[in-house]
Amino acid sequence: MADLSINVRVEHDDFHLSINEKISLTGITGVFGHSGSGKSTLLKVIAGLEKHAQGKLVINDLLESDILLDSEAKIFIASQQRNIGLVFQNSRLFPHLSVEENLRYGQKRKKNIERNKPLDFTEIVALTKLDNLLSKSVAQLSGGEQQRVALARALLAEPRLLLLDEPLSALDDKNKSLMLTLLAKVQKQLNLPMLYVSHSLAEIQQLANNLLVLSSGKVTHYGDIHQVIHQLTTNNEILHQTSLSLTVKEHLAEYGLTSLALGDQQILMSLNQQIESDANTNTNVRCIIAASDISVTLHEPSESSIVNHLQGTITSFEPCQSQVLLTVNCSGQDFFVNITAWSAQRLSLIVDQKVFIQFKANSVRTLR
Amino acid sequence: MNSTHPDILALITTLKMAGITTIILMLIGTPLAWFLAKMKSRGKVFIEALVALPLVLPPTVLGFYLLLLFSPQYLPGQIWQETTGQQLAFSFSAIVIGSVLYSLPFVVQPLQKAFEQLGDDLLEAAAMLGASAFDRFFTIVLPITKASFITAASLGFAHTVGEFGVVLMIGGNIPGETRVLSIALFDHVEAFDYAQAHIISISLVVSSLVLLSLIYLLNRPNKSRPTKKNQTKSKRLS
Repeated sequence: MADLSINVRVEHDDFHLSINEKISLTGITGVFGHSGSGKSTLLKVIAGLEKHAQGKLVINDLLESDILLDSEAKIFIASQQRNIGLVFQNSRLFPHLSVEENLRYGQKRKKNIERNKPLDFTEIVALTKLDNLLSKSVAQLSGGEQQRVALARALLAEPRLLLLDEPLSALDDKNKSLMLTLLAKVQKQLNLPMLYVSHSLAEIQQLANNLLVLSSGKVTHYGDIHQVIHQLTTNNEILHQTSLSLTVKEHLAEYGLTSLALGDQQILMSLNQQIESDANTNTNVRCIIAASDISVTLHEPSESSIVNHLQGTITSFEPCQSQVLLTVNCSGQDFFVNITAWSAQRLSLIVDQKVFIQFKANSVRTLR
Repeated sequence: MNSTHPDILALITTLKMAGITTIILMLIGTPLAWFLAKMKSRGKVFIEALVALPLVLPPTVLGFYLLLLFSPQYLPGQIWQETTGQQLAFSFSAIVIGSVLYSLPFVVQPLQKAFEQLGDDLLEAAAMLGASAFDRFFTIVLPITKASFITAASLGFAHTVGEFGVVLMIGGNIPGETRVLSIALFDHVEAFDYAQAHIISISLVVSSLVLLSLIYLLNRPNKSRPTKKNQTKSKRLS
């Protein structure tokens, strides 16, 4: 399994980055942190755009280790020789070239000619839906189109690793959702490892399998996306939420709902056209439920407009100011529930108690 | 050579001097402008001031110091004489070197400004797509800043054609070698040959006007491009 071993330091007057971590290069790894946490600097170090990085950076493949940086041995591989792609926050298209010429720029200069069979230009253009834009000038494109060109341009250079630096931050909600769907599809079809930097946990949750959390230039968490979000919630580092990856059971189009399987129980969410258009059931849906959107009852509510009620067991009870953060395990999945201390006392909730949690279909959120 | 009219000879000398000077200026000015545009240390201000010096200094001051340096009594003039066997002062080479220094700011400043405006964003993007530094210069920098290169070369050329003080100090007035149009004009005025002086003056005015109009014409479409791009950018961000 390919991995990226990072042992680097960057020292600026007002900022220090110090990272020692081995990142598995499979699927999409999210890099989350607030502004100033060092996530963009880390990306620049990997890209070779940060000239002051000290330490060692190595890509380990099945067969070989490729040193990108070793400051002790005075090795610094230039960006253009690293064969790593980067999609920037601002698309950085070349203004003097047409869309097609922009796309061909990286393709003409690609490094791994001997390794794989080449990517088909028309296939990538079709995948990124740029067929009708090829002859246009870059200035004529909308923001969403520009980012799609930037993505296709990076893909056609056939990098071994694709870095994405807040690629959605300049887009509106509709284009964000289109781009997320596209990125998930690209990752699946090309099997290209990606590092996705964002200050939006919701974006990362939609795409990534692994999550790296940075704070003040240091790694605070690294691991499976749902587990790390679970940890962040229990540490009170983010708004309390439950991060889920569930399989679509069926679409109930007449009610505008989608049914997701959770063990022998089901969760209903608002029908989403992006997900419905994926057609095949067995599609995985990533969703988030805020802990404040879930409530607890002692008996199964039979006369309620709230569609989701799941049976579970309280596994943890954490008082938190005037609130209580409950962890309720339903069919093997932990749900975080925020209730007032008053309710907790009134229902006399305790660990190992059997309860029902309930939440509306609309509180099951997905960015797509 | 004797059959040529002395003013035609002066014109040929002028064009030769300005042409060679412009080529040398582009070769020296481009890396210097690039270096200044990317330089971040405090020393940058000093180099910028040094490059801009000919803009404010009387040309005769520059000419005076160059005359001293070019004479065989000083090391640069000495080295030149030893390697080429000829004296540097009062030669064609001397006025070319003088012109290069004198017109340097006219080439470096527009290029530096263009490189600063271009920034690092597109160059980083090109590097991430596998383009080497050399490749980036020819496929990104040059096409985008083409208008500034034309402006720099034209200004360097036109300014060299119009120079007088430096050439007079270090070139003297040798027909076919250092006697350029501006000096020929001065000669005619001193000899009260106003008719000939008019011919040179009017042709310099007209040709300079044509050249400058061409520069502005060439700059027009390209200047509107970055603003258009900025507009779409701000629209997207808002």
